[in-house]
Amino acid sequence: MTAIAPPVAAARPARARPDRRRQGWVRRAPLLPALVFTIIVTQLPFLLTLWYSLQSWSLVRPGSEHFVGFSNYADVFKDSQFRTTAVNTVIMTVGTVLIAMVIGVGLALVLDRKFLGRGVVRTLLITPFLVMPVAGALLWKTTMFDPTFGIVNFLLRPFGIGHFNWVGSFPLGSVMIEMIWQWTPFMMLLVLAGLQSQPKDILEAASTDGARPLQIFRELTLPHLRRYIELGIVLGAVYVVNEFDAVYMMTQGGPGISSANLPFYIYQRAFLGFQVGQAAAMGVVVVVATIIIATFALRLIFTSFSGTEQAA
Amino acid sequence: MTSADMTTAEPGVGTAAPRRVAPRKKRGNSIPVGIVGWIVGIVFFFPVLWMVLTSFKTEAQAYTNTPSLIFSPTLSQYKTVFSSGIWPYVANSAFATIVSTILVLLLATPCAFALSLRPVRKTRDVLFFFISTKMLPVVAAIIPIYIAARDLHMLDNIFTLVILYTAMNLPIAVWMMRSFFLEVPGELLEAAEMDGAPLRRTVTEVILPVVAPGLAATALICCIFAWNEFFFAVNLTATQAATVPVFLVGFISSEGLYFAQLAAAATVATLPVILAGWVAQRQLVRGLSFGAIK
Amino acid sequence: MAEVTYDSATCIYPGAERPAVDALQLAIKDGEFVVMVGPSGCGKTTALRMLAGLEEIDDGSIRIDGKDMVGVPSRDRDIAMVFQNYALYPSKTVGENMGFALKMQGVAKDERARRVREAAELLDLEPFLDRKPRNLSGGQRQRVAMGRAIVREPKVFCMDEPLSNLDAQLRVSTRTQIAELQRRLRVTTVYVTHDQVEAMTMGERVAVMRAGQLQQFASPTELYDRPTNVFVAGFIGSPAMNRFDATADTGGIHLGVATLRPADAQLRAAQGHSKLIVGVRPEHLAIGDGDGELTVKVALVEDLGSDSYIYGRLADDASSSVIVRSGREHPRHGDIVKVAVDTTHLHIFDADTGLRLGE
Repeated sequence: MTAIAPPVAAARPARARPDRRRQGWVRRAPLLPALVFTIIVTQLPFLLTLWYSLQSWSLVRPGSEHFVGFSNYADVFKDSQFRTTAVNTVIMTVGTVLIAMVIGVGLALVLDRKFLGRGVVRTLLITPFLVMPVAGALLWKTTMFDPTFGIVNFLLRPFGIGHFNWVGSFPLGSVMIEMIWQWTPFMMLLVLAGLQSQPKDILEAASTDGARPLQIFRELTLPHLRRYIELGIVLGAVYVVNEFDAVYMMTQGGPGISSANLPFYIYQRAFLGFQVGQAAAMGVVVVVATIIIATFALRLIFTSFSGTEQAA
Repeated sequence: MTSADMTTAEPGVGTAAPRRVAPRKKRGNSIPVGIVGWIVGIVFFFPVLWMVLTSFKTEAQAYTNTPSLIFSPTLSQYKTVFSSGIWPYVANSAFATIVSTILVLLLATPCAFALSLRPVRKTRDVLFFFISTKMLPVVAAIIPIYIAARDLHMLDNIFTLVILYTAMNLPIAVWMMRSFFLEVPGELLEAAEMDGAPLRRTVTEVILPVVAPGLAATALICCIFAWNEFFFAVNLTATQAATVPVFLVGFISSEGLYFAQLAAAATVATLPVILAGWVAQRQLVRGLSFGAIK
Repeated sequence: MAEVTYDSATCIYPGAERPAVDALQLAIKDGEFVVMVGPSGCGKTTALRMLAGLEEIDDGSIRIDGKDMVGVPSRDRDIAMVFQNYALYPSKTVGENMGFALKMQGVAKDERARRVREAAELLDLEPFLDRKPRNLSGGQRQRVAMGRAIVREPKVFCMDEPLSNLDAQLRVSTRTQIAELQRRLRVTTVYVTHDQVEAMTMGERVAVMRAGQLQQFASPTELYDRPTNVFVAGFIGSPAMNRFDATADTGGIHLGVATLRPADAQLRAAQGHSKLIVGVRPEHLAIGDGDGELTVKVALVEDLGSDSYIYGRLADDASSSVIVRSGREHPRHGDIVKVAVDTTHLHIFDADTGLRLGE
């Protein structure tokens, strides 16, 4: 096939130039509605959260709000439940993302090979990601994990495990299994995209150079996949840290707070405990923590995937 | 040049790309890999399959120690679900999904245009800002949003969800649409300029037809996320504006745990998105990675 | 139809060290086919895009029929362009592609259809008018791009390497078609290529550019016979002209141990320049029967069937390579042969300035 398009990056700066002098608000106009909307809907609430976090305020007692400075933050850091849920969040996020990534890489390698019905298998494999999280959590809690009627116990019966209460005994683990089930397809898709973007001639060159498949994988494929894996981990982590639906549906954070993560705990504080100030302070802490992760995420996306981008 | 070459040709693919990138196709079908692939595929799909199967069972069939694949299917669970008042929830979900998606496209398309084909200064900063909003935890914003909605008498109002879903999907759509715009060959725009087309005609006659598939893919991704959203829905709605996920939750508490009925309700709730996702699967990666991966 | 004048036209990319096009001076006649040629990065494409209005004219001016084009947007210049990658609108049929500019001008539908049909006839595109570009072969797409330009009946055609995406055979046949078509339509045409063979075969006059600066603007024969400097001498002609370091005195041109006697006028012009470069085209060298000014050790022989090219090195200076055109009978690898120089076809340049001396 002969070429139809020039390299985008090369064509762009040249063409942008003649307009530069005329650039102004006219040029910015198409951008503004989206930008203003996003700022109002997403940034304003965060500022308010900051403000609320300095207040003592209970939703059930109108007019109770008054300025208390940083005492909410002090409470947050003294709160052992907050610490527990923070640890839960880390376990949940790291565990889910890493396990989903390992399985995802494996599945991607399988799907990268040609076999009968590959398209169908690919479609089957991405389905968990599409399932409404609420419904997915419900499914796992009932039809899969139910002590008496669940499939998991049915399958394990030959091994002598008959009536095990998975969700009750391993609440955090059960929630994580459901999340891994939902997030593995995501990882798989990213890694598969990476595998399929690997230039074929390089692999051919390697095999004519006498490399065995395993060596090719280690020496060429894995380094090539690295940035895809990193991107998957970072994006996955950003989404999974915020997971609420699975916890809400499967365990309600229980027993006690043993399976609660920070989003659920903050939700509980705000909407069941009505402690606006404290919940807001927790929210701020979570935001700060997320910014740290997000900074890595953004840098990664910008450096490894938009490296050719011209800063306009 | 063969005809196969021509049909696979797309604008945006050029010899400029250093190498032809192609999925490995030369190797023949591998039977062991196929077996492994099918087994994992079925394992991962099984919970969904089981949900659908269970939804066609009677409660008695669903509640057995030895689950059976063979049974005489019944539609009675679906009758129950549809007669239990799911329709207002479906209507709310559909409304929030469709209206927010339209809003997203209306806002994101010009915005992405200004960030790609006619880039403004500080394009990078704006892009950075959009993606960063996606990464901040929603839970930290829910309190002020709740209080604002309460004070504006917008609690349990479907338009609250429309606004929030629009904001939720806007960054993804901006990034995705931008990546599609960037694939429009620069020469095409120059050709239109030389042909004397004003900007408006260039956009409608040249650019939009080229990015139309991208627009559709973006819309599908936004629909998927909006339809599945639960956190805002459960916190900001009650009876008037509640969506399908909220219905599912309510279904458990009001009816108790009836597996088959629950399965039928879950099937109804998940099916639209699963189908949409299957259709859009090639574009899923692009959406999920903010257009970084094609 | 129009005259095109580049008057000290300059284009500077922000942040670049030197202008992409530096004070370009060209007077293109009405109906002329001018080719701009040069190595990549020489500014030829930029010069074309300045004419098309896709690149700003930062200094000087470009005039079409005497009208200054500075600040005039492309759509008001009445110029049609054929792009390197054709830039066909993928969602439009061939006919719609060709008629788009007319539609934008508000030309009535019937008139549009008539003109599109005429152009299609000219280019053998009639069977494809209802097809989409993606269903065409590379050559057909190229013709559609041409057709889109022709339909407009513009004052000037701009063509930016329009053949570079065709395979070698098609390129040769399309080359003659375009040249022929242009002679028939007599529309002023500026054609950019990096391929000197294309430039020589197609252009009535050729502008050779290098590093943003015009080197020589002349007919192909003139370029070949009287290159104005060493760069043009080396760029035009394939295989390239032989170039040797030399010195001159009243006795002749000294090239290592060999001495050449050019025409007196040329020798006089060369004297007084301490270092020279002497150029001889391969066809002006001949393998002698034992006599000849140069002694060449043969390294490689390219047999083209009708002729052959002998690649070798001077026996007394292994660093200077020599290309000799020879007949079907030719020496072999490793042979040492005497080569005679046709001194009536010597090109002499000052080694410091690179400029041609004499004639």
